[in-house]
Amino acid sequence: MTVADVARDSFDVFGTTAVLLVTSRRAASQARAIADRQLAAIDLACSRFRPDSELMRLNAAAGSGAQRVSSLFADLLAAALRAAKLTGGDVDPTCGRALVGLGYDRDFAEVRAAGDAPPRLTGPVGPVPGWHRVHLDHVARKVRLDRGVQLDLGATAKAWAADRCAEQIADKLDCGVLVSLGGDIAVAGPPPDEGWQIRVTDDHDAPPSAPGQTVRISIGGLATSSTTVRAWKVGGRPVHHIIDPATGEPARSCWRTVSVAAGTCTDANMASTAAIIRGAAAPSWLHDIGLPARLVREDGTVETTAGWPRDYGPGDAA
Amino acid sequence: MAQYDTRFAVGERDSGVRKVSRLTWRVGLVGAAAAGLVGLVLAHPASASRQQAHEQPGVIIIPGQPPQPSTGGGQVTSGAS
Repeated sequence: MTVADVARDSFDVFGTTAVLLVTSRRAASQARAIADRQLAAIDLACSRFRPDSELMRLNAAAGSGAQRVSSLFADLLAAALRAAKLTGGDVDPTCGRALVGLGYDRDFAEVRAAGDAPPRLTGPVGPVPGWHRVHLDHVARKVRLDRGVQLDLGATAKAWAADRCAEQIADKLDCGVLVSLGGDIAVAGPPPDEGWQIRVTDDHDAPPSAPGQTVRISIGGLATSSTTVRAWKVGGRPVHHIIDPATGEPARSCWRTVSVAAGTCTDANMASTAAIIRGAAAPSWLHDIGLPARLVREDGTVETTAGWPRDYGPGDAA
Repeated sequence: MAQYDTRFAVGERDSGVRKVSRLTWRVGLVGAAAAGLVGLVLAHPASASRQQAHEQPGVIIIPGQPPQPSTGGGQVTSGAS
């Protein structure tokens, strides 16, 4: 199986672009059907932009008693809380209020189209409530939010969804698969002979010729976080969607883009987001964990960790 | 008398065999049902443990191997969205 034999599908989901690659052309339509089912269920569970989602119902019940949730939502929330724990709280699911305060309370296309809008909240937002204020009983599938807590699972749900889709497609169709959800990439099953070829750059929608680096992976996941893409203006101030839980404000980082490879896309994504928030301390943190990463400074210079290949070829530059 | 005793004995033997046979079937059915129940009970933990293996709760999972250098534009792009 070579790259040329791979079937490709592309579609819109979660306000971004999904790409589905499978090593069996016969399995392509079934793979899409599996992905569609999974993604629809995940959207209904944890979208912050539809009133019928479990997440919106749960946010509305903050400060009251425990609410019963679906098994899927419990899994998604568990992944978010695990990310918070493993990043020392850098990737925190209780940043919902901070994002709403920045005007990010609807699909991002609408936020961008609205242009420079006045802030929704006046005065400083302050630190987010913190993930310890989310109480999940995974077995009983019950969740209680302390008063004032507003969840946003955007930092983990997309990557988790990519992992879930890739795993299910590979298991059910017995083929190799790559699932990219807005640049969060999970692979499963036997890869093509050359591996999966991935262009790492700032924007997942960029053309293959965009400045960056091409690498190949065979297993696990690869994710990129950046302050340059999901960015807009509020009250004349440029902001982006990566919230520093310590301030409740968009992270001020020395890195504009961080790409990380890990055993899963979920883990790659939590590490790349945490690296943006950690700033100058990120390379040593990633190195100590053993995570290969590519960190791009604001001026375009690149730093790598833990075996990430050096930039290779004439097009490989930030 | 002896003939009556023989018939009685044969009847008792056949009745015993039927009882043992019924008992064997019942034990078999109960065993099959129990096995099914055990299967149902264990199905979720098996699935859960697979998920846990996939997402080890205590550590960020490092990749089996780091990305390898490549050339060209790539099949797909990893960037922010």
